[in-house]
Amino acid sequence: MDLRQIKSRHEMTRFFDGYATDRMEELGERKLKGGPLVKTSLLEVLSGEEALTDERLLAIFGRRKVRLEPLDDTLFLVTDDDRGSIGFLERVCPRIVALYSVLFADDFGPWSRRIVMRTPELDHVWLSGLTFRVLWKLVARSSHSHRFTQLVFTHNSIFDIDGTTSESEEDDEEVSDACRDEDPTDVVDRRATSFTLVDRVGVIQEKLSSFQELYSPLYAISRLRFPSSVGRGGHDFYDNGRVTNRSGSFRDHRSHVLFVVRIYEELLKSTEQRAWYSVGKHPGVGEQLCNIVGAPVVIRFEKPLENKVFDRWVSTTFERKRNRFRLWGHPIRLGPTKVHVYGVDRHLWQPLFLELTAKGCTAIIPKGTCGNTVHRLVTNIQRYLSPGAEVFIGDKPYIEIVEEAARKIGYNVPSE
Amino acid sequence: MCRANELIEDPLFQLNVLLWLAQPLPPQTGIAPLLYESGFTVYAISPQLGVPLDVRLGCKEKGIDLQGTVAPDVVLERENDHRFAFVECKKSSFGASSSTARQARSLLVVAGPRAADVLSEEILDSSLVFLIPEDDRECLADSLTAIREELVENGLPAAHLVVLGLLSSESEVCIVADDRASNFFQLASGENPFIELEPDTDPRPLYLIPYDPDIDQSPQQTAHSKRILFERMQSSVIAAVGPANPRSELTIGLEKILGDATLGMFSLWENAASQKHLRRLCGDLMRNIANAVNVVASGVMVVEPTGVKIALGDEAQSEKVLDALTRFSCETLDLESEPEATLFEGIEDNGAASEEAN
Repeated sequence: MDLRQIKSRHEMTRFFDGYATDRMEELGERKLKGGPLVKTSLLEVLSGEEALTDERLLAIFGRRKVRLEPLDDTLFLVTDDDRGSIGFLERVCPRIVALYSVLFADDFGPWSRRIVMRTPELDHVWLSGLTFRVLWKLVARSSHSHRFTQLVFTHNSIFDIDGTTSESEEDDEEVSDACRDEDPTDVVDRRATSFTLVDRVGVIQEKLSSFQELYSPLYAISRLRFPSSVGRGGHDFYDNGRVTNRSGSFRDHRSHVLFVVRIYEELLKSTEQRAWYSVGKHPGVGEQLCNIVGAPVVIRFEKPLENKVFDRWVSTTFERKRNRFRLWGHPIRLGPTKVHVYGVDRHLWQPLFLELTAKGCTAIIPKGTCGNTVHRLVTNIQRYLSPGAEVFIGDKPYIEIVEEAARKIGYNVPSE
Repeated sequence: MCRANELIEDPLFQLNVLLWLAQPLPPQTGIAPLLYESGFTVYAISPQLGVPLDVRLGCKEKGIDLQGTVAPDVVLERENDHRFAFVECKKSSFGASSSTARQARSLLVVAGPRAADVLSEEILDSSLVFLIPEDDRECLADSLTAIREELVENGLPAAHLVVLGLLSSESEVCIVADDRASNFFQLASGENPFIELEPDTDPRPLYLIPYDPDIDQSPQQTAHSKRILFERMQSSVIAAVGPANPRSELTIGLEKILGDATLGMFSLWENAASQKHLRRLCGDLMRNIANAVNVVASGVMVVEPTGVKIALGDEAQSEKVLDALTRFSCETLDLESEPEATLFEGIEDNGAASEEAN
């Protein structure tokens, strides 16, 4: 069906619902004949101090030759000048949009990544392993214990290898993302964990913590399936904000997307409220008193990095324009395993100050720097350096902040 | 690499350490936030505080010399019992008859029984606290006690005194607290380690306040502070250019660059000479960056008295400009010498003045 024929939210929902039902039947037969699954890409839109108006949204995408045609106040048909119809974009909350599409993953993934990489106002929603830990608890709490679910764990010690890292490996995060659904390459010269665990919710709930204590890469959850509330299958959430509908209902898919987005939005707000550093006027005391407010983001690795791993992390991050952490800066070397970087998040182009050591990382986030920078940093550290890293904003554990974010929107998560 | 025993004499290191000691941090981080753990947080940085008029008149009558206003480096507050610490960092001790004693008298007054009037806050307990290398702690305590006694004997209000020592050993940097300090801050009496030293590693934390022209630092320390300031100013320009659209013109004010580099502290500095010095440093760095950028794209970056203008061309040229900006490193600059006055100097001052007027 030509998506341009769809003129309203109602028609879009009906189309995706019918489409999802057909795909679900095909999934049962283990062969997708009628087309790819419905998938969503969750993007954060940075609007600086301005409100995110429709005009601004249109302008941001327009610069990448992507046209948004309004269907109602928050829904747009998305067309790429070169590629034709892509899908629909919905502004699900003031800072986050969901892009729904029925393109193949191999087309949609690189297309949305390319748009994000070239657009400093856009970033993926970053669900770190620690955030997934809280989401997993919500899955366990909200689903029957006999339902099947799926978790994927990905940890790739790209800085801990024999020999030197080739340029192509480090060149772009697209490489790892494109291969995400494929079997992990069997490499012998570095630790690379990527495996899928499929079992009943109750079984995983009983065993997961003990597995994680035995083998820390299991803390690096990179994908989690929320079982569908209305039937078989579920919704696969990836760490970069992609969500694949493997259920027969688009309405259920969207409902799960909204659920996670609301938690993430709260998480962004509380990260920024706590972490933003600034020197400002003292409230209510007059002009002449100023105070420093904010809290550092502290990441403690589960065990210290070896010197060569630390060196490779610093050099590949700051000597290469395109690096996985998407950071820029000139490291000031203070010791064999200590550097300070007064740099910039080179995706969002916002400043941040970093102390990197073999034992961890401390980040100062100046006021105005988006909270997404923190969540991308945590996601990447769990994926590439230390899957069992502990994270704090100030003296408060990050995981508690995620739990509080879930509680704020009415989902009570038992504390660890 | 700078050794801990040199750093503890550097007032900017002391100031940043003091701020970190009062930051919320989890256990087993590079720095143990001893003061935060005792309940203290930063209330104000370098606040200009006025000595109450009656005390000034009283001092004049008794022939006691003090400053009308004084700015302790940091004021710490413990909210639950309204306890305030007015903290001043010092490189070394001074005598009761030295010029610094004038400042100390004012600090003793504003931090004393009249502190509640001075800050306009409910204060149930307050002390004047000095942070100084441990070797000078006792000597400074003697001087301050003499200065305090002079005020008290003349019926003038004066604060309780606390002197904290900074000590570096082979393996750690500590705060040394005597009984009074121990009671006030609820620290252990004696050595309180807060930084564990790593072999061949400079113990500096990330600097929240990167530079202060009013602080007397060694040339080596000044160079380090200037490097941080420059890195942060360069980051500010890159953060502005990175997301800019091709074929657009950017104007970035020196005030904005300096504000970004100091977490907003620059606009709060009241010392005109310091502001001028920082503007000059910023202009100097921008001219160096412009030279590097204009090699790859001639005339694109122009340094003006109040800021920089960058005219971006098409996508390819914008990319080149950004490459040149990110490749530039202030590490190669002479960071120890003072910036020279420029032809723009007068205009820079006027420009700044007119910006302030607006």
